Amino acid sequence: MRVDPSYITNLASSLDQVQANEEQLTAELSSGVRVTSIGQDPLASGENVLLLNQIQQDDSFTQSSSLVTGQLQVADSALGSVVSQLTQAISLATSANNGTLNASDVQSVGNQISGILAEVESLANTSYQGQYIFGGGQTSTAPFSTSTATSPATTTYNGDADVNYLQMPNGQQIQLNVPGDQIFLGSGSNSVFAALNSLVADYSSGTVNTQQAVNDTAALNTALNYVSQQRVTVDNSITRLTAASDAVTSEQTQLTAAQTNLMQADVAQVSTQLSLNETQQTALEDVIAQLGSTQNDLFSKITV
Amino acid sequence: MGTISSALSIMTGALDNDQAALNVVANNVANANTPGYTQEVPDWQQNAPIDINGVLVGQGATETGATSQRDRVLNERLDQQQQLASASGTRLTALNTVQSLFTPDSGSSSSTAGDIGSDITSFFDSFSSLEANPTDNALRQDVLATASTLAGDVSNAAASLNGQRSSLDQEAAGVATQVNSLTSALAQLNLEIQSASPNGDAGTLEDQRQQDLSQLSQLIGINQITTENNGLSITTTSGQLLVSEGQSFQLTTGLVNGVTNFFAGGTNITSQLESGGGELGGYLTARDQDIPSVLNSLDQLAYSVSTQVNALNNSGTDLAGDNGNAGDIFLEPAQVAGSATAMSVVMTNPDNIAAASLGADTGDNTNAVAMANLANQTIVNGETPSNYYSNFITALGSTVQQVQTENTAQTASVTQLQTQSNALSSVNLNDEASSLTVFERSYQAASQVFTILNTTMASALNLGEQATVS
Repeated sequence: MRVDPSYITNLASSLDQVQANEEQLTAELSSGVRVTSIGQDPLASGENVLLLNQIQQDDSFTQSSSLVTGQLQVADSALGSVVSQLTQAISLATSANNGTLNASDVQSVGNQISGILAEVESLANTSYQGQYIFGGGQTSTAPFSTSTATSPATTTYNGDADVNYLQMPNGQQIQLNVPGDQIFLGSGSNSVFAALNSLVADYSSGTVNTQQAVNDTAALNTALNYVSQQRVTVDNSITRLTAASDAVTSEQTQLTAAQTNLMQADVAQVSTQLSLNETQQTALEDVIAQLGSTQNDLFSKITV
Repeated sequence: MGTISSALSIMTGALDNDQAALNVVANNVANANTPGYTQEVPDWQQNAPIDINGVLVGQGATETGATSQRDRVLNERLDQQQQLASASGTRLTALNTVQSLFTPDSGSSSSTAGDIGSDITSFFDSFSSLEANPTDNALRQDVLATASTLAGDVSNAAASLNGQRSSLDQEAAGVATQVNSLTSALAQLNLEIQSASPNGDAGTLEDQRQQDLSQLSQLIGINQITTENNGLSITTTSGQLLVSEGQSFQLTTGLVNGVTNFFAGGTNITSQLESGGGELGGYLTARDQDIPSVLNSLDQLAYSVSTQVNALNNSGTDLAGDNGNAGDIFLEPAQVAGSATAMSVVMTNPDNIAAASLGADTGDNTNAVAMANLANQTIVNGETPSNYYSNFITALGSTVQQVQTENTAQTASVTQLQTQSNALSSVNLNDEASSLTVFERSYQAASQVFTILNTTMASALNLGEQATVS
């Protein structure tokens, strides 16, 4: 039987292989990553792209939603203030309508309601981070202005009816704003400003046309209910946004765990393999040294 | 008397033979580490006996030279495996360089610079953020910044691939030069072998020829055809003649569409060489198949994203008052090919991002929503950008893995065949030592017999007389 006299060369290439393994395992251990090149695990690498994509999208949504929640809460609180202002206006008007006040008191009520109108207009022109939130798509100029050229005065809306939505990662949309004309001008019959302006006009002279004042007070009451209804839209958006944010955060946590599982090196396993590899390397080196050093051929034994 | 003289001459012949055999052993030991050297074994030929009065008398033996221990079939088999292993090894090296451009991103929520997958997501996320506050300057700047990162990484990857392609091109051209010098040497050797030993093994000349063939097999895929008078013809795997006995045919190179093509005679054999094996086959496969495929995928991605985003931006309203012609964000590509290399951001003013829809006021975010939604639409070859990139990564990784597996198997096969060949043809010092002992003893025996014969002859000459001759 014949043997390959240069078998030590094969041992040397095995040693190369063992060293290459050691480098690979050491790299895995020090970086903590199992898949250091896409050829190692193509499916995992592809899956990793999709997981990271989803995680990043969720992260981005969480950040956007906290920005937007701030804006919605400002809108909600503004509308809350409007409701309390309107409630006060109604009680003032009611007291003026029951005929127990004298002319100067009635005029004083008129002035107070005028003050309330100015306050409501200012609330309707609320801005958040430099953007007017009740202007629809027109966010750079104040949407409401009152002109006293007519009697009663007219409050006009300079914004538009545009509604913005925030896209959630699951494809659903959350309404971000309610246009000011919808809230405060209603569809004519629910107009807050029309009712307030009429009441101011009613009490300005000191004499109350009871029938008209009562009608205008009732109109203001209807408008107040209408504003409360509009406020519900904003509240709903806040609720949905909070729920969505929570869902997205928990999804992000799960996906992060999955991605970590997929890509992370199992330290225990890698350490064990590394230890076995080192043992093998030492053994190979010893064998090569032994075989290469001692005179193992017949020439050294022949004495002539 | 005559028989003693003839015995003496037989012994002289034996001594010469043993010396010649010792020479062969010495030559083997001296060439123990010479690459390609095949160990030689001395041949013994019994001399024809002569007839003396009806009795056949032996005439000893002659050492007629040495035979190289080689197995041609085994060597050819080894060469064939070597071709395959070289091809997959070269292709693997090139693919490893390609895959290093797309190392998987191991981060979790933050985007790591240089990963195109994260860049795609960040870019479309910047539009999602813009939805919350469409007129905010910082958010608009962010859109342009993420667009720049995406364009930069894609174009850098494409540039690297193009650079790698030209270096592979150069290396392939270099291989052709080496092939040409080897084929010339082989033709020369063929002539020498055919004139020196047309009917048998040509010893060291054969060794050289085998060595050259083995080197040639590593470079290019070849078929070997033995011809008459111990000649050899070599063709490429696809049948193009490289060497025909004493004549060699050079490979020539020329540029076609900017890449080096290879010609044998006047025929363009580049595509056949690609599947033929050897380093040249590996280089050409990587240059003409693997890299263009990756570039094409990047081109598709760049083209789709650029054109779709630009189209949407030009159908909205921006902050600068443009209604329907806000401008391109990316450089609008003319065609798919080359769009990855050319991908860049041309928009400089963040006010030109059209977040609002056509005709709406600037606070509207409908167009920003639409642009963010592109991430979920099948805009790249029937897939969403992320899915497309993910599938591209898996495909590339699978190719690398496959070539790796092939290469491991082929290298193992080469090692096995090499071991078998070495077992037969390499100088085994133990064998040489024992041969040395045998021939040495044989020489001693022959000289001892010679001495005895000499004494016998002296006795014969002295027959009956006192020792006149001793």
